[in-house]
Formats: sequence, C-alpha cells, structure tokens
Amino acid sequence: MDLTLIALRKLGSLLATLVIMSALIFILVEIMPGDVAQIILGQSATQEAVEALREARGLNDSLVVRYGRWIGNILKGDLGESVYMRGVSINSILWRRVGHSLVLAFAAFVIFVPLSLFFGVLAAVRENTLTDSVISFFGLATMALPEFVSGVFLITLFSVKLKWLPIVSVIPIGETLFSNLHIVLLPALSITFVMFGYVSRMQRSSMVHVLNSDYIRSAILKGMPKGYVIFQHALKNALLPSITIIGMNMGWLFGGLVVVETLFGFPGMGSLLMTAIKTRDVPLIEACVLIITIIYSVSTMVTDMLYSILDPRIRYQGGQL
Amino acid sequence: MKRSLIFILLLLVSASLMFALGGKESASDERSVRVAEQIPGLITPGVWDGQAFSMNSSIYEYLIDIDADTGELVPVLATDWETDDGSNWIFHLQQGVRFHDGSEFTADDVKYTIERTQDPSIGHLKKEDFEVVSSVEVLDPHTLIVHLDEPRPTFIYQFTDYNMAILSSQYDYDAFGETQPNGTGPFKMLQIIPKESAVLIKNTDYWESSLPILDKILIYFVGDIEASISMLEDNRVDIVPFVTPTIKNKLDKIDGISVISPYQEQRFISMAVDEAPFDDNRVRLALKYAMDPEVIALSVAKMPLGDGVYYSETPIMNSLAEYKELPLRTRNIEKAKQLLAEAGYPNGVSVPMYYASDHPFGKELSQTVKELAAPAGFDIDLKGYTRDVYLAQYWLNVPLSITGWGGRIDPSMLLALAFKSGGSWNESHMAEAEVDRLINLISGEVDEAKRTSYYHELQSWFFDNGSLINVQVPYLVALSDRVKNYKQPLTMIPQYKYMDVQ
Repeated sequence: MDLTLIALRKLGSLLATLVIMSALIFILVEIMPGDVAQIILGQSATQEAVEALREARGLNDSLVVRYGRWIGNILKGDLGESVYMRGVSINSILWRRVGHSLVLAFAAFVIFVPLSLFFGVLAAVRENTLTDSVISFFGLATMALPEFVSGVFLITLFSVKLKWLPIVSVIPIGETLFSNLHIVLLPALSITFVMFGYVSRMQRSSMVHVLNSDYIRSAILKGMPKGYVIFQHALKNALLPSITIIGMNMGWLFGGLVVVETLFGFPGMGSLLMTAIKTRDVPLIEACVLIITIIYSVSTMVTDMLYSILDPRIRYQGGQL
Repeated sequence: MKRSLIFILLLLVSASLMFALGGKESASDERSVRVAEQIPGLITPGVWDGQAFSMNSSIYEYLIDIDADTGELVPVLATDWETDDGSNWIFHLQQGVRFHDGSEFTADDVKYTIERTQDPSIGHLKKEDFEVVSSVEVLDPHTLIVHLDEPRPTFIYQFTDYNMAILSSQYDYDAFGETQPNGTGPFKMLQIIPKESAVLIKNTDYWESSLPILDKILIYFVGDIEASISMLEDNRVDIVPFVTPTIKNKLDKIDGISVISPYQEQRFISMAVDEAPFDDNRVRLALKYAMDPEVIALSVAKMPLGDGVYYSETPIMNSLAEYKELPLRTRNIEKAKQLLAEAGYPNGVSVPMYYASDHPFGKELSQTVKELAAPAGFDIDLKGYTRDVYLAQYWLNVPLSITGWGGRIDPSMLLALAFKSGGSWNESHMAEAEVDRLINLISGEVDEAKRTSYYHELQSWFFDNGSLINVQVPYLVALSDRVKNYKQPLTMIPQYKYMDVQ
C-alpha cells in the first residue's frame, strides 16, 4: 500500500480517536464530585450567588452544549481559563509546563535509548554468559521497580548521601530550566530505570533471533568481521521491536510522567495535572488530559508510520501489523 | 558500525553536556526570604480560601492587627478608633498611604471594603458578620463612622479577619484581583507564575518608612508538604508552614532548622443535633465518654496532653481569657454503652464521619476517634476527602465531621458563625434557644466581667449538652536559621514586614 494512503488512514483514525477521547474526557471530568461554581465562591456563598455564577459560566447548559462550546474554543486555540486564576488563560500556564516536560522527555530519551540498545546487543552477543545474566537481571530488577521506589533510591544516593544533586527538581525563581539542567538528571534517571529493562530485553531477544538466522551465519562463514556483521546486518533488522517499544512509550514520556514529576517536584505537565486535580481546577484538568491524549495518539501514529517505512512488509499487508 | 557507535556516543555526550551546564543559584546582596506555600485557590480578599498566607498578607493590609508578641490590638491603616456602646464606630485613618497602583488610600476605600461584604455576586466570606452594619458614613477622606443595627462591643475584632483586607474602591478586583492583586501592604507583586511561583518586592512607598526590612519574598507553590520539607532540607527555601508533628520530630534532629508554633488551631469533632443518632444528647455523651484525651494527644500530635495539645468539649480556646476550666471527662466505656442503650441503640450504632484527609491532623484524628469509639458500640465509617471537596460538598450536611478551625481573637465571632441558629458555618445544625440567648448576650454586653460570665455559662452548657469535641493542636511552621523575627499572631496573618534574614 502507498505510504501516503497509510498516512491518510492513520490520520483519519487519529482524528476519530481524538473526537471520542475528547468527549470521554469532558464527560468524565464533568461528572467528578464538586460544583465548580460552589468551589469558586466558597462555602458561605448564597445559593443565588452560586446560581448566578453557574448561569454566567454556562454551567446550567446541557452537557452537549457545553462540550460543543469547549471543543469550539479549543479549535480556535483557546483552552479556557483556570478556575482559580481569573484573567489568566490556560495557554499561558500549560505550554510552559509542556516545554519543561519535553526537556525531561528528551533527557530521558538520550540516556535510556543508547544505554538500553547497547546493553541489549551486548547481552545477545554474549548470550548465556555471565555478562548476559547480569544485564538480564539488572533489566528485570529495574523494570520491576516502580518509579517512586527507584526515584527515592536515586534521591537517597545522589542527593542525601553524595549531595551531588538537589533533592527536589525545582527551578529557582527568576531562573530558567536551561540554566538548571542538572535538576533534570534524577527524574531522567528514574525514567531510565523503568525503560531500560523493557528496551534492553526486547533488543536482546530480537538480536538473538537475528544472530541465529541463516544470513548472519553465512556472513560470518564468509569471513566478514564480527563487528561489521553485528552492527551492519544484524542490528538493523533487530531494531524494529525496540523502536516499537520506544515509540509506544513516547506518549508516556511526554505527558504521562505524573508520578516522576510529582515525586521530584519537577514543574512539568504531569505535576501540573496533579495540581489541577487536587485543586479541582476543571478546565485545567480537561486541557492537560486532552494534550496528553493528543501526544499519545500522535506518537503512536508516528511509530506506526516509522514501522511502515522501516519494514516494507507492513505496507504490503495494508498497514496492519 | 562506526555510524552506530558515533550515534550512541553523540547521544551520551549531549546528555553529559546538558547536565554539566546546570547552574547553581547565584549569590546576591538582596535580602530575600524563600517560602514554600500551598498552591492557592482564590486569593482576592473576601473569597480568599486561606491558602498562601505569606503572599496575601504581605500585599494587603488591615485597619487593625494583632501584636504577635502581646496579643493586643495595634493600629495599621486606622490610627485609632472609638465607639459609644458598640453601636457606632469612628475610625481615624492613616494619611499618605498609597495602594500599589498609586491611588491614595481614603475612607472611601474602607467604606467600599465593608459594603463589598454584602455584594451577593461575590459570595463574601464575611457577609453574615457584617450584616449588622446599617450604614458607613464618610466624614472626611480620613475619618468614617460605621453604624450598626445593634450594639456590638467587640465588633472591632471583625476587622482582624484575614478576609477583611482593605481594598481600593478604584480597582477592578473582579478582573485583576487574582492576577494583579492591589493592596497597601509592605510588598508588591512583581511576578506570578500560576501554580508555580510568585515574587514579591519591597514596596518602597510603604507608609512605615523603616519597613519592610526584606527586599524580596520568593514564594514557591508546592502542593506536597513532603516536597516542601525536602526543599527546606536542601536549603532551597527558608520557611515551610503547615508542618505536621511527625515532620517536626524529624526536623528537630536537623541542625539549622527549627519548628515553631506561633499559635494554636482547633479541630472540631461536630455532631449534627438535628438528625439521628446525635439528635439524642445521650448518644453525644456516649461518644464523649468513649474518648481518651491522653491517647488522642499522643496518637494525633505525638505530644503529651497539655503540652501543645489540649482537649475540651467547648468551642473556646484555652489561651483566651473567656475560657472556663472544666474537668476532663474520664473515659468510661460501660457508661457510654449504657447511654447508647438508653438512647435506643443497645447493639451499637453505625455512623459515617467526614473529614479533610489532606489537612494536618485530619487522618490521624479520624482514625483515633474511630478506634476509641468502637468498644462503646460506635461503628464509624471514615469518609476522607480532599479539603476543597470536603468543604464544598460534605462539611455542612453530614452527621459527624472533623473540621479545622482557626482561632478568633474574639470568640463571639466564631460562636455566631458556628453555633447560633442560622449561622452560615453551623456545622452541627444547632438551634438551641439557650445557646442563641447566651450568644446574643455576649455579642451585646459592654461590661467585660458580665460578658465573661456569659461565656462561662455557655461553656458549661456545652459540657453537658454540646455537640462538640474540641482538640486544640499546634500550628507548626518550619524555619531555617536564616530567618529572624518570624511573627504570626492568632489571626493567622504572618507579618513579613518585620522579618529579616542573616
């Protein structure tokens, strides 16, 4: 199938997913306990004042009308206003945090991708040796550790004992994240702990499979240097499953780091979402979840496309895996 | 192979470079203090939810304040005041005071602030307390009279409430109150990053020329108390309010950090008297007999009873002159069971208890009450919610609740709010003629001795019939040793203008 056609099909599917997800997000957030008007005005507000605010904010309109208004505004680029910050658009709160999360995601990416791939290949090449066992064990152990456990371990080691890095990844007031990039290291390492196991084990397994195939055996028997065979012939073909895993997790990396960001106090989108939920800032919750959904959907689509480009067989099967 | 190796090396090198670029905080000659505060909800006075005290109390000011050392009333924007029998209050105001937007502070601003309490579109938290105001008469730009419908000899204390900060009559608080707050206070808002941080700078035009001492207040909004404490330990902030006793015990072992308790707070365990089972006083007494104050103090606050934690069955704090010393009820499970049986619950009674799970002492107190009450036959189902959801959805409509109450320098403010018929925060739904009579007498009595005797009578009534168990707990603030002159009186309003740093 033509790549353009695949891209169009994926795009259509992405749009349909986003419409359904946006409706689900809106409904789920709207049925959460708590009256927004009551929260804004406080406990002692009269019923008349609450009613007046509900009317002014259109909260008395039907769910469909409110959803339509919300989506309409989003399409115009207006994500609305935070409940608690009258006059401040969510755009001005959200995108700064998205930027921070992107930096964190990139930092984690540049650490865990080369490390995982390298050790995955090494374990496969040294299959059934001590090196393989150590890498596999380490991969399993880090994979089994939740982020809040590995995070606490990293804080204890690097911040409390060695005092190399700050305990909390907060940007000092008046400074930028780029002048304080060291605060990204611990959260990025914590993410690396989670991702290393998945990617390195997938890489190992795929590499072992490829190394045992006939064409690799032929290449070695022909006298090609081992390194050349591994990196030029085997690795290329063994990368696909790892790319899938990495791609599928890009959405999580960009928007789903609620636990990591909250644990380290990192001012990204995950911690903003947590704050919005805690303070019941409904428009902000809706905006955050929608952005995360878009990131997830787009990254999944890009991974699928990448897969189609890297493996022509996918294209011939009509874009289906 | 070479290309792959170069790719991997490039990634690792770029990662190393990224982190190597990390900077340290630069040294500065400015005298600044760094605070980790809760993430505020609304901050405009009138609907201010009581979070972010450091920020708001530095931007806004009041007619009067409480001296944190002596507990006496001190003038702020009012130079002095006088009254007849409490029906008419004359205020003389400071001259030469300007709001942060440059406008001059006058009596019109005080009139506006008082009249704003009755604006139905605002939902002002002081609406009920100021309904007694019949009119505000401006005599000249710096003098005004507040006329009341009836005598209120202690009405002056209403102006110490944190929601009674003086606002400018010329400013649009609906549009800008949440983002560009405008007060007369010692610090001005320089920058606010929503949900993240705020920077306040010294108000160089402040009417008290020697104050404030600090140049800047840097405020981090941190949602998690543990993260705030980590920042304190890491020397990234100097002040962390709302510390729990468990954290205090941990911080006590760390050099360079101290935990102070500027005042006491209250946790009211309230029983709704208009519905079963607590409509029967024998059930209320049974719950009281099931309690053990010593155990509550130790398990809730990790402190012995009488040393920072106090227990009573009346709403008056023990530090106030109006407090009446009453004997502590001794725990008596048999008596509690007997009372429950007499009330028609021989096999015990099930009741849900609602509380704010993220408020200091909330979880510990609810769990302890549940455990202590169980042997007497109370099957308490704990219903914990975040504070905003608890207050907005449950608090005033449930049979049993635990709520944090700040202190009031004049207890009649709290009595009218929480225990008088129709009080807007009447959580136990009381409508007792005797209680209303005593509260009215207290509110209108000019003679202090007589007023105190009414308070004592009221407390005795509460001991025998009341709907309340009151656990007084310390409000704790953690400070780095840099901080000098931290002042915060019972009004809960910290006074940063006196603060200095090493």
